[in-house]
Amino acid sequence: MNSQPFIEDAEDLYQNAPFGYLSMREDGLIVKINNTLLGWLGYAWNEIVLEKSFQDLLGVGGKIYFETHLMPLLQMQGEVSEINIELKTKGLTKLPTLVNAMRIPGRSGLQPVYRFSVLDITQRKLYELELKKAREKAEQSVQRLKQVNQELEEFAYTASHDLQAPLNTISGLISLLEQNGHFPAESQDSKYFTLIKGNAQRMKLMIKDLLEYSKIDGNEIEFAEVSLNEVCEYALDMMQDQVTKSKARFEIAALPVIRGDKIKLVRLFQNLFGNALKYQSKADPLVTIDFEDHGDEIIVFVKDNGIGFKMEYAEKIFGFMKRLHSHDRISGTGIGLSACRRILEIHGGTIGANSEPGKGSTFYFTLPKNPRN
Amino acid sequence: MNKEIIVRNNIKISGNGVQPMVFAHGFGCDQQMWRYITPSFEREYQIILFDHVGSGKSDQSAYDFEKYNSLNGYAEDLIEICDELDLQNVIFVGHSVSSIIGALASIKRPDLFEKLIMIGPSPCYINKEGYFGGFSSEDIDELVETLESNYLGWSSHITPVIVGNPEMPEYSEELRNSFCNMNPEIAKHFAKVTFLGDNREDLSQVLTPSLIIQCHPDIIAPVKVGEYVHKKMPESKYFLLSASGHCPHLTAPDQVISSIQNFLTTGH
Repeated sequence: MNSQPFIEDAEDLYQNAPFGYLSMREDGLIVKINNTLLGWLGYAWNEIVLEKSFQDLLGVGGKIYFETHLMPLLQMQGEVSEINIELKTKGLTKLPTLVNAMRIPGRSGLQPVYRFSVLDITQRKLYELELKKAREKAEQSVQRLKQVNQELEEFAYTASHDLQAPLNTISGLISLLEQNGHFPAESQDSKYFTLIKGNAQRMKLMIKDLLEYSKIDGNEIEFAEVSLNEVCEYALDMMQDQVTKSKARFEIAALPVIRGDKIKLVRLFQNLFGNALKYQSKADPLVTIDFEDHGDEIIVFVKDNGIGFKMEYAEKIFGFMKRLHSHDRISGTGIGLSACRRILEIHGGTIGANSEPGKGSTFYFTLPKNPRN
Repeated sequence: MNKEIIVRNNIKISGNGVQPMVFAHGFGCDQQMWRYITPSFEREYQIILFDHVGSGKSDQSAYDFEKYNSLNGYAEDLIEICDELDLQNVIFVGHSVSSIIGALASIKRPDLFEKLIMIGPSPCYINKEGYFGGFSSEDIDELVETLESNYLGWSSHITPVIVGNPEMPEYSEELRNSFCNMNPEIAKHFAKVTFLGDNREDLSQVLTPSLIIQCHPDIIAPVKVGEYVHKKMPESKYFLLSASGHCPHLTAPDQVISSIQNFLTTGH
């Protein structure tokens, strides 16, 4: 083994480093430059040294920036770093660079010198441009999607709203026909009539639910302090008939006060309570509401003793207009639970369910204590 | 004292003398650039330093794009500062664009100013018929293009921000902490107002005794421009330093100090 210390050739490193190096005098005249930078700029050594000033390598914007920012900074701070400046090559192309510079104070009769190290950032500039373009494109897409979304919401609202009027007329006429006894019982016509009546009723329900759903995003969201117990009471008040008819019992624990949109939260509970009654088993419905505190958020549980469902459907049931039962067996539109999911999304929460056929279901949802409005 | 103006222009007062010397920085920097000059005048003068609105630690929210669409907006501020501080016989020292701001203020209110000292003044940066300003109209087009094409404005000379957003508070914080740095939009506007302006007609109206301090070579305000200013201002003296660049108060402070002292004591 050779025990002599390895001596690095510093001059070779200076000349051929992957950085450009340049030294200039106080008046800007370049006194030293390395091969790398000469190569980038396309000049020969003698075309630059003692011939050109650093400012000569700059465009107009760069010159002004140099005089008004870079030099003052160098004078006052002694160094500058990561200045993004374009150098002009001999062929008049532009070379984007990052420049670091340092002022070396004059010693024993020598003038002060400014040392520049220059990094070619042509590739990086291209990435920057690509990123900038991609960002602009993404922003445009988001804008377009927002617009389409808004138009769709408006369409859903208008369509469902406008469909209501003719349907109300049809329903009214059906009632009149029924009252007038046009269709004798057990006749074929009577069967058709029952079908017409049932479908009109179903359509009415669908339109009502669609309208409700479109209102979730259509209305302004107003976050305030809301007592969840109060919200449950409101929801029950609004479905009093249904509760009485089904002989349902509600056991509601002491729930916390959170920040949320009261109207939307009432709708959320109303939908969940409604389902608990709709999908009841032979026993009288018993619905218990409880919660767990998890620091930044709470989890609310709405448990029923209804017919339940297989866990493989636990995700499907939240899909828009997705149902597990035919309309003939249990009426419904498949909008209620997707509305619940949307309401929770607005609050920054999530919803899920645990169930087993014949053993009831537990719907649970999270609500952040301080949602972003 | 109206605190609003003090805060708006980040006014700092020091010195033991009575007669006020008001120092105004040029484009791109703030009052800190006078740090090598003012100590020499503190004993005999009252030193008033300030930042133009939009620069340094001035109140950025006071930047009104309409008001500062010409240098007159800055001249108004200068007059307000003098009035507010009840200054008399002001010796005004302005660098670069501020030389012209001082000249405009002295035309409006000659009673306020006793002397003007202009370091690297230029009334018009663009070459025009029979006038040499140092920049061709193509140069200025290129400058405007540079300003416009930098999506973060002038400041993109400082560390490029790839997917940044100038509205981001962290970013503005970084700008505030960095000397010689301005809000990109304001810097762009200030640059346009400075480099596209033409105040040649105003020069002959300046009757306050003035000193023009010139460097050579100075690519922003070349010797020819300094000489032009001297020729047009009847009460002016002209002094050529043996220093180069546009900021002699930073690169050759001793020469600047002695030329000012000489002018203040002998009038030459």
